Amino acid sequence: MSNRTLTLLMGFVAFLILLVGVVFAVAVLGGGDDDNAPASPNQDRPRSTSGGFCEAKQLIVPGTTPASVLDPIQVTDVSTSEYVVEIFGGLVTLDRDLNVVGDLAESWDVSADGRVYTFHLRDNILFHNERRVTAQDIKYSIERAADPRNGSPTVTAYLGNVVGVVDKFEGRANEVAGVRVVDERTVEIELIQPSDFFLKELTYPVSYVVDREQVESDPRNWTRRPNGTGPFKLAEYTPAQTIRLVRNERYHLGAPKLQEVVFDLSGGSIATRYQNNELHVGFVPAVELESFKDGSNPLAGEYLEIPEMATFYIQLNTSQPPFDDPNVRKAFAMAIDREQINEVLFYGALRVADGFIPPEMPGYTESVSAYKYDPEEARRLLQESKYAGNIPRVVLSYGGSAGNSPDILVAMQEQWRQNLGVEVELQVLDPASYLREQRRGEFQMSSDGWSADYPDPENFLGKLFASNSPLNYTGYTNPEVDRLLEQARNTTDTRERYRLYAQAEQLFLDDAAIIPTFWSVSHMLVKSCVKDYPTAPMTIEKYRYIDISRD
Amino acid sequence: MGPGLLGYLIRRLLWAIPVLFILSVLVFYMLRLAPGDPTDTLLRQNYTPEAAQRLREKYGYDQPIHVQYWKWLTNLLHGDLGVSTRYPDFTANEVILPKMWTSAQIGFFALLITFGIGIPAGIYAALARGTFLDPLVIGFWLFIDAVPYFVLIPLAQWLFALKLGWVNLSYEGVYSPNMILPVLTLSLPAVAGVARLMRASVLGVMGEDYVRTARAKGLRERTVVLTHIARNALLPMITVIGLSLPGIAAGSLFVELLFGIPGIGREAFDAVLAPDFDVILALVMFGSVLFVAANILVDIAYAVIDPRVRLGEARG
Repeated sequence: MSNRTLTLLMGFVAFLILLVGVVFAVAVLGGGDDDNAPASPNQDRPRSTSGGFCEAKQLIVPGTTPASVLDPIQVTDVSTSEYVVEIFGGLVTLDRDLNVVGDLAESWDVSADGRVYTFHLRDNILFHNERRVTAQDIKYSIERAADPRNGSPTVTAYLGNVVGVVDKFEGRANEVAGVRVVDERTVEIELIQPSDFFLKELTYPVSYVVDREQVESDPRNWTRRPNGTGPFKLAEYTPAQTIRLVRNERYHLGAPKLQEVVFDLSGGSIATRYQNNELHVGFVPAVELESFKDGSNPLAGEYLEIPEMATFYIQLNTSQPPFDDPNVRKAFAMAIDREQINEVLFYGALRVADGFIPPEMPGYTESVSAYKYDPEEARRLLQESKYAGNIPRVVLSYGGSAGNSPDILVAMQEQWRQNLGVEVELQVLDPASYLREQRRGEFQMSSDGWSADYPDPENFLGKLFASNSPLNYTGYTNPEVDRLLEQARNTTDTRERYRLYAQAEQLFLDDAAIIPTFWSVSHMLVKSCVKDYPTAPMTIEKYRYIDISRD
Repeated sequence: MGPGLLGYLIRRLLWAIPVLFILSVLVFYMLRLAPGDPTDTLLRQNYTPEAAQRLREKYGYDQPIHVQYWKWLTNLLHGDLGVSTRYPDFTANEVILPKMWTSAQIGFFALLITFGIGIPAGIYAALARGTFLDPLVIGFWLFIDAVPYFVLIPLAQWLFALKLGWVNLSYEGVYSPNMILPVLTLSLPAVAGVARLMRASVLGVMGEDYVRTARAKGLRERTVVLTHIARNALLPMITVIGLSLPGIAAGSLFVELLFGIPGIGREAFDAVLAPDFDVILALVMFGSVLFVAANILVDIAYAVIDPRVRLGEARG
């Protein structure tokens, strides 16, 4: 078979085989020697985008696809509010230390009875299109949020205390009587009852200001290029690819230092691209966490540990056997060794939740405590329960995006088996089915999580523990807890209020209707040329603080 | 193209219409009758029956299914694929078409490479039968095929981006050097299949009388291989190529996920989980249309290339 065609074919194939072979040989042989080499030697390599990676004022971060439109009154999730807080603004906002500070409002007065807030607007507040923001814009935006035709899912929860909001939302009024324009630069908001956390609620997107002209001239598509008042303007949104925010030069709290922020929505390999200087922000893989914490990793200088106001937990349905018996609930709570799970499975990446309210939350009370690991006591309680020896089938459902990771659930399943001799089945559902079945109260046990919308215990306890709350999936009702929560809501003395929340929290935890598992921690990597990266434990507008510079 | 072929073509196209119609009805009803609608995932913890009802009215999910179907069909005939509940700022057209185009371009290049390597490799292996080179070639490609994506891709990313610094990994459009890795990881594992088919096909042809005749006539070996063996052996490959065409527009979940490519494979996966009714429907319909079209294309190609195949007449 020695002829030219064959030789050519052979040559071609041999070349390919050789090529691929060499590549693999390099990969296999070249590995190992400098796996942990710092990425810094590449720091100077220019990116194909404009300017150098550390020269241009362009921050490239991994982003998540917003789940709803970029309309402040429709926001329900962290992924969308991350963008909305940068593009829009309201009367007040949270600074990096989570204090309430003026945004569009320069100052405010509170009436003696605590029911009327008078906001004085700044002089120099402009929409992105340079139109001036007036008191009418504030009133329009809140009324738009309360308009039942707009169907805001959050307005009654966050602004329900404003006189007239619920009336308008339920169709009993045409305007929101409690929001009054005094003059161009003054707006008055009247509350149904005095509230110590009203200003905090007001930092939530639902009360942000939108441009009436834009909304009314293009009701369907205005959110594609929203005209807000925030530090950044939306320049580009390509689904599954990019969200690009550019700086608002005229921002009234000081123009951002960055020219633009690029959110990479593509997913891809974040760790590798961070190492390759394609992203300014990355995440530490759990397996490498130790080397970052003890400083032995060459990238340890770029490591940021950010505790988050987020709690993971297991909900027990108190209206279904066997969790209608408090002894069974307590036994389940005491039979899990969360320390061990955290150390062995997560290399200490999480924090064991010793209560429900996370420690970063104002009003966190250290003495509040959840059940600790105690297998002896757990077995004893199970023996004492009415289900001793005849425990029914137990199913733990999961599938929502917020809950404990499946690894945690499998570990707990094993601990319940070992410590209680109870075989818990794990059931995974797609997100839609999970949410639906949970709402219907179908689950015996379910895994979930909750993160702060505003820095106040009310956002955790009032939402999840009140017996009439739609988010209380435990079927648990306790008049004493309800009374304490109601009393806290109506108390204007901050310390007294926190004390009442702590009492309610302790009662709830003692009855073990939920088992708090972990408090979340974000382990981030931020390139050394990125300066002043805010480490707030919740979503706040943060990109205007950040700068990129070499030194 | 003879009159028989033309008639056959028209019949096939007419048949496609009821097929697609029945399919669309089935998928539409299955989606709507399955428990759960997008209101759960849209509202999450803010779910109230009233809010859900408002959303259903907004998207028309509260109407009887046949009314919804009719509305969907009318819109479809006007080129409107509907709305995406996952990207509420965009229409389904805006979500699907750019992504499908992205996947299709990448898939096309991958297909070129797969067949560009697979066919010569198959011919070579067949001609080298009886020597160690035959199992070596096939075995090598089988090895590539056997390495899972999630091993192959991180290894390739580490080597070419971090180690050698030849490419970046961010998505910067289809025509960027960053796309070389995804195209190769998409194409190389598929080479084995093509090469083995081609090898079998060549071996089949090599035993044919006309090959022996050609050799007996004293033709040069190159002529025998190229004109008598390869050309005839390529015939069965038409089916393979034709039927892999719809596949390239379907994208690849793994490659798109691991390289962060905004393609239709990921989109389809996310849409099903949401569930994003109109996007799922549109993808199923696109897939079916492409499949039917590819089948017709294959048949035509046979008729044009191989005079022995007479479709129109054969089917009366």
